[in-house]
Amino acid sequence: MKCSKAHKLISLYIDGELPEQDMKIFEDHMNICHKCRAEFEGSRELHKLFIKADEFKAPYGFHTKVMANISSGKAVRFSGIPVFLRFAEAAAIIVVIVFGILSGSTVLKGYPTDKTRDVMASLSLDVFDSAPPDSLAGAYLAMMEVRNEK
Amino acid sequence: MQKQEDLDFIARFKSGDKSVFEELVQRYQDRIYNLCRHMLGSASDAEDAAQDTFIKAYQNLKKFRPEASFYTWLYRIAVNTCLDYKKKPFFESLFKSSTEGEEYISEPVSDQPSPEKLFKSKQLGFALSKSLGKLSLKLRTVIILKEIEGLSYEEISEVLDVSVGTVKSRISRARDELRILLKDFTEQK
Repeated sequence: MKCSKAHKLISLYIDGELPEQDMKIFEDHMNICHKCRAEFEGSRELHKLFIKADEFKAPYGFHTKVMANISSGKAVRFSGIPVFLRFAEAAAIIVVIVFGILSGSTVLKGYPTDKTRDVMASLSLDVFDSAPPDSLAGAYLAMMEVRNEK
Repeated sequence: MQKQEDLDFIARFKSGDKSVFEELVQRYQDRIYNLCRHMLGSASDAEDAAQDTFIKAYQNLKKFRPEASFYTWLYRIAVNTCLDYKKKPFFESLFKSSTEGEEYISEPVSDQPSPEKLFKSKQLGFALSKSLGKLSLKLRTVIILKEIEGLSYEEISEVLDVSVGTVKSRISRARDELRILLKDFTEQK
């Protein structure tokens, strides 16, 4: 028996589904081929591990809850939701982001660069720099100067 | 025997006795919940999926054909419901943390006498659940139906609506991948 054939039969042997006529030839191969034997042992250990796996029981009151949901006419989650609707929310988010970027760049394009700089300068609250003449601070200082002169 | 009793319940249901459905739920709730729990990992998702499975079964029981077994039909609904949960909407997946594989280990195994053995057994159980979580949905489903639920190749082919040959090859591939994943996991420790 070739190793590739033996490999295919490992699962069937473990599950007790290997036909009688293949049994002897399979076991003979396992006795002489260390590589296939190691694979077989690994799969058998895995099978034993599954036997020890936790068995979960339905939570207390499960059937009562099912019957209550049925009598209240609860709609089943996700049932009847077409696949395209699942992608619709992702598409909506992308549209909103793209729209935000486009509208933001359109607003910025509306201002000439110098004017934008003037606006930023007029809102400057940096008290350590000399106040630009058109800024709020500049207007305040001018008013104070006139008042002091009086 | 069980199959005949199921068919009797279903016949009564179809003739208008809806209350008989509760008997069917009680009969299969543990198996369906166990399947969902191993498929989804999280206890709350498993409970929701198992609830949805029975609600869908109730809504479609009139269409059930007695040539098939009721439990393979129910398993098919449960598997599809779990696959739906795995493909949960984008928003939900963003805000819900994944507990996959973290809630498998619950009660200690009572026939493990020493703490070392118990620890090793828990570690292996944890490794198995983690490795299961890394398998593709197709392979995970087929190996859970075989190893956890103990279905035959024919029953699995009925549940998944694929040929017995496909079931055999998927089980073999699942075992190959799990062996490698478990080896990686134990070597990391």
